[in-house]
Amino acid sequence: MTHDALATQLADLPVRLLHHLAKNRVPRHFRMGKNRLIQSLLALSPAQQAEVATALASLLQEPARPPKPEKSAKPKRQPDAPSRQSPPHQRHSAPAEPAISTKILFEGIGVPPPRPFKPDDWQQEAIDRLATNDVILSAPTGSGKTYVAVEAMRRAIETEQTVIYTSPLKALSNTKLTEFSQIFGADQVGILTGDRRDNPQAPILVMTTEILRNLLYDAASGEIDMRLDTLGLIILDESQFLADPERGVVWEETIIFAPAQSRLLLLSASIGNPDEVETWISSIRSTSCHLIHHRNRSVPLRAAYLDPSGKLAPFFRARDIAHGKGFAFHPETKRLFANYEDQTLGPRYRR
Amino acid sequence: MPPAIHPVDLLRVLRHQRLTPAIVFLTSRRACDEAIASFEHRQIPIPPTRSAAITQVLEKMITEYPSIADHPLIPTVQHYGVAAHHAGHLPSWKVAVEELMRQGCLDAVFATTTLAAGVDFPARTVVITQSSVRKDRDITELTVNEIQQLAGRGGRRGKDFVGFVVVTPSPYIDLGPIANGLTNHPEPIDSQFVVSYPMVLNLLKAHTIDHIQPILEKSFAQFQLNQRADAYETKLDDVERQLEAYGQRECADWITQWQSFTLAKKHRSHHRLKTRHDPPEVSARLAFLTPGRVVELSKDHAIVLRQYRSRGQGYAMLTVVRSRGRIVEYPANAVTAVIDEVVDVAEARKFPWCTPHSLDHAIETLEHFPTRLRRLPIRVDQDGTTILTETLSDEFPCPTCPSRPACQKDHPQALKLRQEDHRLTKTIHALRTELWHRFQQHVEVLQKFGYLTPACQLTPDGDWARLIRINHSLLITELIRMGAFEGINASLLAGVLASIAHDDDRPASFLGRHPALASTLGQVRKIAHSLSAYEEPPLLRWDIAAIADRWIAESTLPWSELIRSTTMAEGDIYRLLARTLEYLSQLHGLRATHPGLADVARDAMDLIRRDVLQELP
Ligand SMILES: Nc1ncnc2c1ncn2[C@@H]1O[C@H](COP(=O)(O)OP(=O)(O)OP(=O)(O)O)[C@@H](O)[C@H]1O
Ligand SMILES: [Mg+2]
Repeated sequence: MTHDALATQLADLPVRLLHHLAKNRVPRHFRMGKNRLIQSLLALSPAQQAEVATALASLLQEPARPPKPEKSAKPKRQPDAPSRQSPPHQRHSAPAEPAISTKILFEGIGVPPPRPFKPDDWQQEAIDRLATNDVILSAPTGSGKTYVAVEAMRRAIETEQTVIYTSPLKALSNTKLTEFSQIFGADQVGILTGDRRDNPQAPILVMTTEILRNLLYDAASGEIDMRLDTLGLIILDESQFLADPERGVVWEETIIFAPAQSRLLLLSASIGNPDEVETWISSIRSTSCHLIHHRNRSVPLRAAYLDPSGKLAPFFRARDIAHGKGFAFHPETKRLFANYEDQTLGPRYRR
Repeated sequence: MPPAIHPVDLLRVLRHQRLTPAIVFLTSRRACDEAIASFEHRQIPIPPTRSAAITQVLEKMITEYPSIADHPLIPTVQHYGVAAHHAGHLPSWKVAVEELMRQGCLDAVFATTTLAAGVDFPARTVVITQSSVRKDRDITELTVNEIQQLAGRGGRRGKDFVGFVVVTPSPYIDLGPIANGLTNHPEPIDSQFVVSYPMVLNLLKAHTIDHIQPILEKSFAQFQLNQRADAYETKLDDVERQLEAYGQRECADWITQWQSFTLAKKHRSHHRLKTRHDPPEVSARLAFLTPGRVVELSKDHAIVLRQYRSRGQGYAMLTVVRSRGRIVEYPANAVTAVIDEVVDVAEARKFPWCTPHSLDHAIETLEHFPTRLRRLPIRVDQDGTTILTETLSDEFPCPTCPSRPACQKDHPQALKLRQEDHRLTKTIHALRTELWHRFQQHVEVLQKFGYLTPACQLTPDGDWARLIRINHSLLITELIRMGAFEGINASLLAGVLASIAHDDDRPASFLGRHPALASTLGQVRKIAHSLSAYEEPPLLRWDIAAIADRWIAESTLPWSELIRSTTMAEGDIYRLLARTLEYLSQLHGLRATHPGLADVARDAMDLIRRDVLQELP
């Protein structure tokens, strides 16, 4: 392939594939933008350029991943999982509905009038279920899982039980310490870190999951300086960390060794298989685990595309984002992005 | 066209469309800082009443966290209502920005995607500028779960009728993954169970080894492995049903029987062709002199490792292993008898022609052979045709068997099924016992180092070592046992632990070298290297050690001075020292067995916890 032919081909690639080609060939390629990437690839030795050309050819041959930005990127995971089909956005021959306008996209922005707080059904159900079951609650970000945690805590301390609340991050533990102290009073909430114990006799203890895991190991070998027998409730926030490559094992250990008399409440952002986690926990604990899977966002979400020129367009043809139904880009977004790709690459390489 | 919209223009558009407050996710800390800095050059201040509100919130935060007071970003926050929030900042600053956001004081926060993980931080709009992130020096595409964590921060309950995601291009963007992430269902999660040394020690402290397997089986890892195994079991059932369909034959294991029979036939004819020059008694035996076969060589036993032909004359030759592990070559006619015994030998292409493991096994087996073993009766016909008396008629009833035509017809397909059967059985077994194997491997290492007895109980060393429940635990406990920390002072101890704890290779520089530190680290590095077969060695950067060392050695050093002595971001230094505290507290936990070391650790902890490191628990 000639230098120029390669240049044209590279210019057509999305940045992701350029990074792919640059890997192990261009130092610090991840710092570069599209132009710099192409420049660096073209500045390689002829032998390396030949390699790039070969790699490029094989990339282009992969039928499932044509190098057009809108069509690439399918999740890499199991093909058997639901709704992994490629989105139908390419079939815009007979769109069911006309694409929305920018005006409609931005309609209805504003602040709702204050309303008395009323828990959602799924929140109430989670709280009630905890009386008899372990509960795993999977709900989108920002939907109100904390409310469930707080009410569950309230019930536990009313019956003289203690509560442990864990989060994956110290920063989050601190936020929650403040939040719970405001609700229950500072004397009711303590925090444990590796080297510090503030108010460790309080009925509600906040800590990272690692600290709880260590407590459980100490308890198992009979040398605990904390009373775990009154521990009525363990709340594991951000439980999707179960899948963290380095720390996930800590969540497993904690769930396996959680005292039989304590209820477990797992709060998790949306994950694909909460039912699997539910079945697992049910299979190893004396009380069965109940899944509450709340899929819908409490506040509807819309998407817009903002061109570097400052021009806004709807991102999708439809206004509200729905899940599992594929997507279709708004024609204006398509046009603007194609233009962006051309322009950011054009002048130097399309002489 | 610029590669990305200017932050000030971005904010102007967001304000114009009433899309503020917004969180703008940028690709790097630097990009966030530059975005904030760019507001200085383009004067678009917020109204004074809003500035006043910000000042009020900040003042309240400063009484709680004094370190915020001198933050260089404060004027920008006050004038323009924008802030940056990323891991390079101190936790106290991040808390302040979060509070400002909760109070509705800010129009935009420029953040890196690390913010997405579990910080309570909602806004009306989320701006996405990238579809991939840098993870461990590699560019990876954002997953559906990650994109939904980002997008999920758009639209606050009770404060917004509707939330927005604004996608704006940068050189790091590809629209496909973003659209996919916004509209697809989240991915399922998988267990990431790892067996670690502290886990093994702690489990064996509380349970005997025969109770461990049931405990491991409770893991989500095993649950998921079992699901895969179950799927294979279904397949296996199916294969077995197909095999059963062949019905009863004369012999129980007709597939093996038929296969040996055809093989033996092949061997014999093959033999006759290739070994015309061999004397009859040799060619009669060659079929049996395969790797693993036990033979007698002048009264001694040996195990065949390979059969070959000599280069020149083409004599049949053998490589055998004899007593005391001698590996020797012999002509095949040196064999005085073929023994009715075959040892499992996995062949290899190079000397000693089998895997090291097989060789050990063969030698071991040889040592334990009784002196008299059953010989194979091999009769030699005058015309050179070999016939196995006894064994032939015993083993191969096939020639006269009534099932013969059926066996002949079904064999190819049945053999395939049987191989599939074995493969599946093996896979299922591997899945069901994988965790247990990993556990046993760790047990072996801990036994080798003397933390566990051969009966898998904790030794006195194991009993305290189990309290070190952090990464690099083996290195740390070995250092303690070797006395590497004897007589060490608080600052040096903290320095060493900091360099063990720190796993980021982002460059930093620290002025001034410290000979005591360098020599101690050199020693630690040697030990870490010697353990590398059992535990990944830490980076052990001396510049990192020097930062921790200095903070403790100079107990009046102000924080601002410390951060000026290195190029590391202050958030990173804070995290480094916080982790060092964690490691130190583990050593402090050894006070029952190592009071001296625990005291030094306590001193180091007290010295670390000052200034900004005291602000948060
Ligand atoms: N039933 C409700 N009605 C109105 N607002 C609610 C309700 N429940 C919770 N909220 C509000 O929703 C907001 C977000 O809740 P919360 O922080 O608990 O989310 P979350 O589910 O924990 O999200 P994340 O995944 O980010 O942790 C809070 O401000 C809370 O007051
Ligand atoms: Mg939450």
